[in-house]
Amino acid sequence: MENDYGVPTAPIVTARFADYVQRDSRSHGMNLRYTFPPYPVGWVPRETLHGYVEGNDPISGAPLMEEVILALTQPLTEAEKNYKPEKRPERPRLLEPATEADFHRLFLESGWTDGMPIVLPTEERVAEMLTGTDRDPQEFVGMMSVTTHEERLQYTVERVAVNAVMAGARPEHFPVILALGASGRPSMPSSTTSFASMMVVNGPVRDEIGMNYGLGALSPVNYANSVIGRAWTLMSINFGDVRPGATFTASTGSTINYNNMCCAENEELSVWEPFHVRKGFKAGESTVSLFRGWNVLGFNTGPAQRMLQVMKNLSGPFGGAFTFVCDPLVAKSLKNDEGYDDPMKLSEWLVNELNPRFKRPEMVNFVIAGGEMNPMWVVTDFSYFQTTSVDPWIPKAGIKKDKRPLRMPEAVVCKDGSCGISH
Amino acid sequence: MRKKEESMTVLDPRGQPSGVFGRRLDPDSLPWAIHDPENQPRDTAEALGALKMAPRLDSLEGKTVYLVDTGFAGSADFIAEVQDWFTRNRPDIKTELRHKKTSMFTDEPELWKEIKKNGDAVVFGVGG
Repeated sequence: MENDYGVPTAPIVTARFADYVQRDSRSHGMNLRYTFPPYPVGWVPRETLHGYVEGNDPISGAPLMEEVILALTQPLTEAEKNYKPEKRPERPRLLEPATEADFHRLFLESGWTDGMPIVLPTEERVAEMLTGTDRDPQEFVGMMSVTTHEERLQYTVERVAVNAVMAGARPEHFPVILALGASGRPSMPSSTTSFASMMVVNGPVRDEIGMNYGLGALSPVNYANSVIGRAWTLMSINFGDVRPGATFTASTGSTINYNNMCCAENEELSVWEPFHVRKGFKAGESTVSLFRGWNVLGFNTGPAQRMLQVMKNLSGPFGGAFTFVCDPLVAKSLKNDEGYDDPMKLSEWLVNELNPRFKRPEMVNFVIAGGEMNPMWVVTDFSYFQTTSVDPWIPKAGIKKDKRPLRMPEAVVCKDGSCGISH
Repeated sequence: MRKKEESMTVLDPRGQPSGVFGRRLDPDSLPWAIHDPENQPRDTAEALGALKMAPRLDSLEGKTVYLVDTGFAGSADFIAEVQDWFTRNRPDIKTELRHKKTSMFTDEPELWKEIKKNGDAVVFGVGG
């Protein structure tokens, strides 16, 4: 309104966001004249709001409504007339030399980690990570911000490698991590509602790098799943510019942010087409599919009727989107016993039963992961956003594997009943 | 005696400034495009650096002030309280209350045009 329409404007924002909006405003070229009532404003009695309006701005101490009037009538200062946004300084490639212990402290205290120990990105380790792709280390990969409006930070192949090293990844994992970076999507976008994300890998790369899509696919029992999911978080922190309270406003936060439910799809045991094929990719392509919402809402077993029952009793803050992670036994039952040979038919049935006016079948998605220990499914309020190809990041010679790739123990698959007596 | 720790060098993990900023959504955008790197409109540092604040009014006496409810939780009641305050304390100022029809992240040029045509100033509330 100020610039485009020439109308003096007085924005009122709760005091909890004073720092956030003032910085946002300054970086957007205007030092707007905010007024700040106390917090919260939502879900409080009307009398409380009356008191806020009659009272003082807790930041300035001045009567709130007098401030609003002054914001519209006090002549602009020279600084306001000629405000120029401050340019953020360029980041160096190398940090000042220090000891290992001091670097660990620096990374932690600077907020460049997820709080867990990291592998320090030395030049040697980063160079090794870069062998996981043929791409030029200085090639632009993308830009990201956890905020809606602040400056996006851009990053090269090398900066992605730095974060991959920090996450504990090996060069074999790097193409998937680069594909995540190329999406430009932070796994933990800033919202008071505390977003969470999920990533699902499809295609040959799953087995090449030893991802888990079987028993415990969502549990911390697999190296690749753990470090790839973590790398997305670290990239979100360092490229998305996470600074709690300043750029990151998740009120309760989410433990899903640690690993982003990183898993692969169990294409082998699924009776349905692989997820990425349903989204237009070829079966032989390797991809990573990205989902975002808030929570795992519930779990249950068995038939479509029970899925519907659970969906009717649940909804996310804004409703409408559901992504199911189903054990392969669920898909088999849905196909063989109930005739759903295509999960889209199931999505259509569910949304029509649920609320045909507002829901869209493409907002109900199904991913198959699990070890056939029980026909369980979990349902999330996640929306599907995109599938991005991993293949462009894989070296021409193929995935760069260590001579003896690191692998955690695989789930015991007992075919003759003898496993129960062993340890 | 403890051996002195050796100095080492590591790479910076942070991203570089791009000069690219997120922008409010176009009126026909879906609300969730606000966090969508493919569909959210962008601003540049150059364009933002040229923005100017509007000149202020000498007085609000006899003027029309639009009060716009942004749509955040509680903002409709809050902005109604602001309107009541004007009625009680500054009856010389005319107020017009409007509720945003689109999300709080979305541009609403029809409303802005109405404010430009019929109003003298605007109060937005309440964010957060």
